[in-house]
Amino acid sequence: MSDITYLPGKEPHEKEHRLIFKNVDRKGWNTKIKTYLKEGGYEMAKKALKMEPQEVINEVKASGLRGRGGAGFPTGIKWGFIPPNNTKPVYLICNADESEPGTFKDRYILHQDPHQLIEGMVISAYAVGAHVAYIYIREEFPEAAITLEKAIADAKKNGFLGKDIQGSGFDLEIYVHRGAAAYICGEETGLIESLEGKRPYPRIKPPYFPAAIGLYMAPTIVNNVESLCHVVHILRMGGEEYVKLGTPRNSGTRIVCVSGDVKNPGFFEIEVGKVTFEELLYDMCGGPRDGRKLKAVIPGGSSSKILRCNETFKIGRGEDAKEMTFWQLPLDFDTLAAAGSMAGSGGVIVMDDTRRMSWVLNNITHFYAHESCGQCTPCREGSTWMKKVSDRIEDGKATPNDVQVLEDIAYQIDGKTVCAFGEASAWPVEAMIDKFRDELVGETSDENDTRSAERVAQEQFLSAVQ
Amino acid sequence: MSSKIEVPRPRSIDRSKLSYVRLHAPEVREAPKPLMIDRSSAAYSSAQPSVLEKNVHSPVTPGAVHFPLFKVTPSLQKAADKRIAQYPDDQRRSAVLPLLHEVQHRHGFISPESIEWVAKKLDIAAIKVVEVVTFYPGFRQKAPGKLHFRVCRTLSCAMGGSYELMAKLCELTGIDRDLADAHKDPISVSPCGNYSVEYAECLASCGTAPVCLVNDDFHEGVTPEKAEGLIAQYES
Repeated sequence: MSDITYLPGKEPHEKEHRLIFKNVDRKGWNTKIKTYLKEGGYEMAKKALKMEPQEVINEVKASGLRGRGGAGFPTGIKWGFIPPNNTKPVYLICNADESEPGTFKDRYILHQDPHQLIEGMVISAYAVGAHVAYIYIREEFPEAAITLEKAIADAKKNGFLGKDIQGSGFDLEIYVHRGAAAYICGEETGLIESLEGKRPYPRIKPPYFPAAIGLYMAPTIVNNVESLCHVVHILRMGGEEYVKLGTPRNSGTRIVCVSGDVKNPGFFEIEVGKVTFEELLYDMCGGPRDGRKLKAVIPGGSSSKILRCNETFKIGRGEDAKEMTFWQLPLDFDTLAAAGSMAGSGGVIVMDDTRRMSWVLNNITHFYAHESCGQCTPCREGSTWMKKVSDRIEDGKATPNDVQVLEDIAYQIDGKTVCAFGEASAWPVEAMIDKFRDELVGETSDENDTRSAERVAQEQFLSAVQ
Repeated sequence: MSSKIEVPRPRSIDRSKLSYVRLHAPEVREAPKPLMIDRSSAAYSSAQPSVLEKNVHSPVTPGAVHFPLFKVTPSLQKAADKRIAQYPDDQRRSAVLPLLHEVQHRHGFISPESIEWVAKKLDIAAIKVVEVVTFYPGFRQKAPGKLHFRVCRTLSCAMGGSYELMAKLCELTGIDRDLADAHKDPISVSPCGNYSVEYAECLASCGTAPVCLVNDDFHEGVTPEKAEGLIAQYES
């Protein structure tokens, strides 16, 4: 594969290991099926269709692939949750509602390499026995929706979709379903409700997985775009070989998206756990802008807990426990979880010392207040309260007690909602206050008025009457 | 409890001496019929205020001149039928979002008439379409400008200067965003009707911040200084 050349300025870094992003920003690459077939495209789909479905599932289980959408749940195990005595149709849904702030990996797959996704979906649908699959794509990707529909039509023309694919007797139809700019549709049961034409209110658990009851009350597998693409490479390499990439329990490659205050933000496909924050932020992204110092990093999309750059962590238990500075942390699921945050969707947002944390906090609370679906009271009301309190802190109109109030609200949302949005909105606030309490309190003053604007007006009115 | 309560006896009334004269025979009242409303009757539906009248407000904006009024055309019907065919026959409701997208793409926003059409087409109650339209930020209830700018507001883009980009766009197009509200009224239209702006939540291109969508075109790295060039790109 040494003959692959990339567009000038878009060459991958030497520490990268490109599987999924092999064709992204590649010279002479386009979304046509001809280009994809020339590179051995759809060979894995042909190979899979000759295998037994259970063999494909076993291969994915052996690879140890963990879902790349945010929760990091093993994909092969998720596929195994379909009830064995099921008589209903099985659905496969590709979650292309990429809306976690800081994440922009799926955009490039959908825009530049749609056939890779379709091939991954053919294999996955065959493995789980689905004959209808939907790609739930977010509304903000209008171009990608057109590209995908074109790619699906081409694949159908070439006999990789539709009836009796490649003479195997397996039928599959893939449809594109556009969302409508709602973050909550990334939650898998919310996505299913939205696909059913309703408001995307996440469903009450249990069942914990839509593999039991999902779309139209039938077993449904929901996978992230990146996870489905990995399936192609797992079949190519074999599960045993794939598991050698990365570190134990964190196998394979993953795409890390870096944005914010570094010299060269962008995406990097790395082996999971093989790259530390120091390598990522200094070697690959060129470090902070001139004359600035890095202050804090959000490691996995805005819902994950923020980490201070000067922190040290105790990773591991018992004898294996060791002290690690922030810079030594490898980017994998387990270490980041041990450090009190999460790898999430791989969106790394970097902040340098010119950023006021109250401003960052305010931006994040505005996002969650806007995107709360309003089904559960703690989240619906709490996210708006957090927005209002953080507005005050950011404006410098808060009292020191407001920081405490904000923290109390966050802890009252966390764990008290139907879906993980409650945690997603509360964790950033909890972590921000935990790590930057002094800075936030420093922006408040005891002399500030604690009365609301309405109350001031009321008091003025009453005093005028007397 | 044997004690009797003394009740004063009513005085006997000589009814013939009463001043009124009965002109008609006493009315024979029928037993009241059980209340049955034929909800499907035309009389009923015209008498009741429609769910659309009560819940859907589509204020007219200066941008409305750029979009044709809602009309069911053969091309819309064809597109709608194609979308409906994507879902199982007994799950036509799934096509609500795709149909609304088709309508919004052609007519700029979702009007009450189009909601009624979608509901009829899918054979569901209009309120089921209304709840979808009012929930998703992706569906507009008033006409945007000819060029609709959706500027990403979320963290990475904000750090890259999207607040400043928004201010610059408003300044260049004469848009007043003072009354905009993220939930109730996110879209602000310029008085000339050519432009409108809205904040979007994370357009998923954080590495090339700040980014914005102009109608369906995506632009990355739009620093405030590039705002003028961005508008000029569409002027010619």
